[in-house]
Amino acid sequence: MSRSDTKKPLRQLIHRDRQLLLMFLPVFLYYIIFCYLPMAGLAMAFEDFKMGTGFIGVFNSPFVGLRWFEQFFGSVFAWRLIRNTFLLSFYSLLFGFPIPIIFAICITQMRGRRLAKGAQVITYLPYFISTVVVVGMMTNFLSPSNGIINQFIKTLGGKPINFMSDPKWFRRLYVISGSWQSFGFNAIIFVAAIMGIDPSLYEAMRVDGATRFQQIIHLIIPMIADTVILLLIMTLGNLLNVGFEKVYLMYSPAVYETGDVIATYVYRQGIENKNFSYAAAVGLFYSAVGFVFVVGSNTLSRRVTGSSLW
Amino acid sequence: MKKLLSVVLALALALSCLSAVAESAITDQEGASVSMLAMNSWYSTVDLKDAYLLKKVADNANVTVEWTLIDPTTYSDTVSPMLAAGQDLPDIIQLPDTDNNMTYLSSGMFVKLDEHLDIMPNYSKYLEANPFIKASLTAVDGHIYYVPQTVVTNNYQPVLMLNMPWLEKAGLEVPTTLDDFVAMLRYYKENDMNGNGDPNDEIPMSVQSAFLPYMFGPAFGLDLVSGFYADDNGVVHYAAAEDAYKDYLTFLNGLYNEGLLEVEFTSLNRDQITERCANDLTGATFDFSWQMSNLYSAQYENYDGTKGIIAGVAPLSGAHKGFYVGRNPVSGCFGVNSKSDNIELAVKFLDYAMSEEAQDLYVWGEEGLTYEVDADGNRHFLPRCTEDTIWYQGLGINAPNMPSQQSTPATDVLLPAWHVQNDREFEEPYIRAPFPNVYSTTDETSTISMYLVDVQTYVDERAVAFICGYASIEDEFDSYIATLKSLQIDELIKVKQAQYDRFAAAMK
Repeated sequence: MSRSDTKKPLRQLIHRDRQLLLMFLPVFLYYIIFCYLPMAGLAMAFEDFKMGTGFIGVFNSPFVGLRWFEQFFGSVFAWRLIRNTFLLSFYSLLFGFPIPIIFAICITQMRGRRLAKGAQVITYLPYFISTVVVVGMMTNFLSPSNGIINQFIKTLGGKPINFMSDPKWFRRLYVISGSWQSFGFNAIIFVAAIMGIDPSLYEAMRVDGATRFQQIIHLIIPMIADTVILLLIMTLGNLLNVGFEKVYLMYSPAVYETGDVIATYVYRQGIENKNFSYAAAVGLFYSAVGFVFVVGSNTLSRRVTGSSLW
Repeated sequence: MKKLLSVVLALALALSCLSAVAESAITDQEGASVSMLAMNSWYSTVDLKDAYLLKKVADNANVTVEWTLIDPTTYSDTVSPMLAAGQDLPDIIQLPDTDNNMTYLSSGMFVKLDEHLDIMPNYSKYLEANPFIKASLTAVDGHIYYVPQTVVTNNYQPVLMLNMPWLEKAGLEVPTTLDDFVAMLRYYKENDMNGNGDPNDEIPMSVQSAFLPYMFGPAFGLDLVSGFYADDNGVVHYAAAEDAYKDYLTFLNGLYNEGLLEVEFTSLNRDQITERCANDLTGATFDFSWQMSNLYSAQYENYDGTKGIIAGVAPLSGAHKGFYVGRNPVSGCFGVNSKSDNIELAVKFLDYAMSEEAQDLYVWGEEGLTYEVDADGNRHFLPRCTEDTIWYQGLGINAPNMPSQQSTPATDVLLPAWHVQNDREFEEPYIRAPFPNVYSTTDETSTISMYLVDVQTYVDERAVAFICGYASIEDEFDSYIATLKSLQIDELIKVKQAQYDRFAAAMK
């Protein structure tokens, strides 16, 4: 929309963009139904929810103020849940973020175009494997009795490790498998950014006698820095958004110590144990922290790069 | 003359009524229907929507049932949010649990059935005949809200099963103590029990982690299955907070370190154990008795149906005399939606579903279809029932979606004679009742919902850590107990004590 559009009547604008708007409609409905309407149920967090009264609406159940929040922060698990949630996403970011960049640089520096294309396709395919399958593969490969990894360890004379039920291993497995699954896909945007660099710049550097490594350090990295920073900031906004499905599939009581995150705790309390109000309160706290992160990273983005979401 | 005429007329009227609808009909209205939300079959390839026997029950009652059937493995997760939302619910609802915290009934979602007992002749009769069940269904407010689904309690419960040929080959007596049992496991680990030339492929014991508390808890005097239990003096304890629990963990940690409890015990499942039986790889297991003959023993080539290969034995004793943990009879509940505009019909249908006629259909099916009657008047299931499980289950036998009542005699006829005898000899005498299901008061509910989940989470995760040695029992057991205390375990024990006292009083 250009500025002159504001002078046209709204109806005319809608008519002109009707096809675009129609395409946008499902997205709009998705957010209304699954993100905005449920907010009306947040009142539950301050009530003692009674079964059968419906999730949406205020004053259906007795008001209990901050009782559920007090219960959560008084619980021995509160700190552990917050720590686990934060650390799991922090490590995912720490290890998951640089890998696609390094990979993108390698891919673009390869001489054989075919090889580069092939490597790219192979590495981004795992992104489309369902989480259930990935966790199933992990369980199989890592099985202490007949998993391939432990067979290898045994052949080398080591003692088999029970990866999936040792709390020490939970975060590593989560981060490694997550990076494996997404680094090829995430590299695409960096590959595009690197491809966008004017070839004459490389030529100029070569004429000046720069090595390949110097080209990377002094040309590619500065040229893609903006993209990197923008993406980093946007990822920061989602820092607390750990994948519920994957944690839920991977964890068991044995690894709650490192694997139990706020989202899974809310699920257990709300859906499995029917403490709907308590679960709503914990979920609200989680969303509030997430909100701070999003606003914070947006502000940061505006300061650093001059561009922001709002 | 006038009198005679009126008698004739009355008779004719009565006859015409009889011809129109069966005696068991709960309505004479054409096309009446009730909607019902319930569990589907446990067999994933079976859909009970058009099950023959259930249709027959509905036909007898002269109604059609509009089913909403949900997979039993996700029933609770699917149905509890539906009930919480409370919108557009059907007339009859199978609850996701037995509602001991009165979560549902205190919100007024369900009809008080005791106020309708005048139109529930079958259910009234049932309650009179079963005072124990009546006591456990009577809520704190004195009303009865649900019609139960019940299970056998003192037979065919989880039991220790041993590989009998291995035991014979080893020349060992049936172990009755923990020490003998461990000695047996060690022997199996060292020797080539299945005679395939490889002494290392034997897995001495294959037990799913959920059954470890059933198997070893009693030898330490603990009912870890119920969690809370009352001792002989009626004092309630929490098993995982007792001193004996430390010995239990130490014992299991010992088994784990020695490799007698496999590294993967937390993820072992029944399919894997069945496969091990098929390859003659394992010497002991612990499972619901039901699996003994038709699942585990049936895997062996030389099983002829007259003698068990994997067979049940008496419980193991340790510092305490062993026992097996039984079950509470009420396993499920059906209630009538108080917002339904069809309450009377729904109540009557539930009542008919409790009638002997309907119960007979769930248990036996139909003569000529599933069973035949021999010259002595005894019923026998037809061969197709065991040969074609999917067909048999598809009829709606045992009706997981109806208030069906399991019984020991009806279970006996499905099993080979040796299995029935095994149950009477090694299981029934050793069964101890679990902690009773008692309705909670509002205050109790708030204590339970506030603390119990966290306690259970903590106990579960520490149990694995202690057994696998991620945490040292010597160093950390005291801090484990201290954490349980800070999770208000004492408050919970107080609540359970009050509930137990109420139950004991009601049973007097």
